[in-house]
Amino acid sequence: MSDASTDLIRSARFRAEREQGWRRLENLVARAESQGLRRMSFEDVRDLSALYRQATTSLSIAREISLDRGLLRYLEALTARAYLSVYAPQERLGSLVSRFFTHSAPLAMRRSWPYLLLGLLCMFLGGLVGYLLYFEDQDWYRVFMPGSLAGGRGPGASTEYLRSVIYDDDPEVRGLGAFATYLFSHNTRIAIFVFGLGVFLVAPAVLLTFYNGLILGVFVALHVDRGLGWDIFGWLSIHGVTELGAICVACAGGIKLGMAVLFPGQKTRRAALRDVSRDAVKLALVAALMLVAAALLEGFGRQLVQDLNTRLAIGWGVGCLWVIWWTAAGLRARR
Amino acid sequence: MIWPFRRKGKKKKPKPHRMPHDTLVPPEGVPLHFDVAGVGARIGAQMVDILITVLFAVAVVIVMSELNLARGQTLTAIFMMLFFLGRIPYYVITELLWNGQTLGKRMLKLKVVSADGRSLTAQSLVVRNLMKEAEVFLPGTLIFTLDAEDLVASLIAFVWIIATLAVPLLNKRRQRLGDMAAGTYVIHLPEPILLPDLAQAPVPAVQLGKKAEEFTFLPHQLDHYGAYELQTLEDLLRTRPQEKSAAVEARRKQTLAAVIEQIRKKIDYAEKIPEAANERFLRAFYNAQRAHLEQRQLFGDKRADKHHGREEDDEETGAKTQ
Repeated sequence: MSDASTDLIRSARFRAEREQGWRRLENLVARAESQGLRRMSFEDVRDLSALYRQATTSLSIAREISLDRGLLRYLEALTARAYLSVYAPQERLGSLVSRFFTHSAPLAMRRSWPYLLLGLLCMFLGGLVGYLLYFEDQDWYRVFMPGSLAGGRGPGASTEYLRSVIYDDDPEVRGLGAFATYLFSHNTRIAIFVFGLGVFLVAPAVLLTFYNGLILGVFVALHVDRGLGWDIFGWLSIHGVTELGAICVACAGGIKLGMAVLFPGQKTRRAALRDVSRDAVKLALVAALMLVAAALLEGFGRQLVQDLNTRLAIGWGVGCLWVIWWTAAGLRARR
Repeated sequence: MIWPFRRKGKKKKPKPHRMPHDTLVPPEGVPLHFDVAGVGARIGAQMVDILITVLFAVAVVIVMSELNLARGQTLTAIFMMLFFLGRIPYYVITELLWNGQTLGKRMLKLKVVSADGRSLTAQSLVVRNLMKEAEVFLPGTLIFTLDAEDLVASLIAFVWIIATLAVPLLNKRRQRLGDMAAGTYVIHLPEPILLPDLAQAPVPAVQLGKKAEEFTFLPHQLDHYGAYELQTLEDLLRTRPQEKSAAVEARRKQTLAAVIEQIRKKIDYAEKIPEAANERFLRAFYNAQRAHLEQRQLFGDKRADKHHGREEDDEETGAKTQ
């Protein structure tokens, strides 16, 4: 060792011996941040992770032996930056999307089947109650149906008018414009609220879904009363199977969140909520996907397809496709 | 006059960070300290991101109308779709590709990190950005709908806005609800700058010809100060005046002289220091003091500041009297 380096105090010597490695790490981190690990050569990436581990060692030694604040701050920052680029998420977008469709979403749906059943039950019971109440007293229609949603269809409207709404080809309300309007319509808002409000102890999610069922029930009852039952069934089916399904899925997600808050078990409420949110988020994404599909069907399909049987086939066919996706996808991955 | 070593109150610990900072333990087990990003910086980054998404949607709409691909109602529909359906994927995808940074966060040098010290997962990024819809965009649009006519709705909206702003201010890591659900928080990206080692940097000018040991300090002279004083001296020696004016130079000289005077008094350094040697003396003292303190630290005698001896004395005397 030369005279110059033996004169140095211990921590300065410590730094002199390692400085080159840190400089190289600094370079590699800068490159990893600007161009990504994937485009770096094998040697560079290998060095990056090795030098990062050396830097963590240097940092913990320096904290013990060095009082040089400049050095400590530098090492702290360097190690932090290197840590962030070494532990960057390495997943490709494509693989992520395909994994969502092939495994994670269907598995999450299958795992939460009791909640889905509950959501469906809420909607169905609401529909049943609404239907029966209408036949008891027609005024219930006005109680449940918000005016903006009815669009002139009520107990006072003529049967011809109701029929004309069901089989109507108005070019103004077709295509993308209609798609967007439907997307931000009543049901999307309901789905968002049903999911989000589930956290508040389940009740809002269940009540909203039930209420949505009530609206559906009185609406169907009105048309059945006029002998348009089968026609309204077709009109609703083409997008409603998907759209109402989305609300049920969102409701299931909401119930799941609420249940975690109500019955956290051995975990803290926060931890339980975090655990359950893994599946709930997937349900929310599925519901969002279904709503977009429903809006497409509503914007294009309902006006283009006027035939009753075709409407039924499309609506329930798409519904079947959803169910097939949830039940059949990712079966092999489970084992 | 500035006397850097004096502090009020004996027990008060020095605070090296102004920002609230947080410790994160990576799998290597060496805790790292990060500066937590404040609410202001995050709102700034959010603004930039909203601007970018809106500008993108506007640009697409303009291009489509120029090319006569769509008009009227359809254009508004496309704009709404791009803005409403595009925003959450924008945040998720950018944060995934750039490891926790959207364009706005890149501009303000912020980054999302996972609180458990592991890498960010797609799951957590989706969660924190889905919650953004309820936490940022809903209150953001509610502001425009505040209406004196409908008092109850306005009140609810107002409470919602306040609550979403208050949540990050009420916890140490400045997490919003989405961050809590996802187990993430936002930090300032640390900047690694390697300053020259004061103990290694060549001492300026003249004395190269002379013997290296211009000043010598005896061990008992070095027993007075601790790490805090040493690092304050380090900061003093590191700061170089930006502007080279006579007044600034004079002030610096005055400070150095005052510091030296105090040190000499404290450690009983008899010899007078000529003014030309001020800087050299302080550097030599810094070297000796650091070598001494580091040596003591290696033997398990960590000295935080100049009060290091006293508490132990108190304890000893206390033990004797009992």
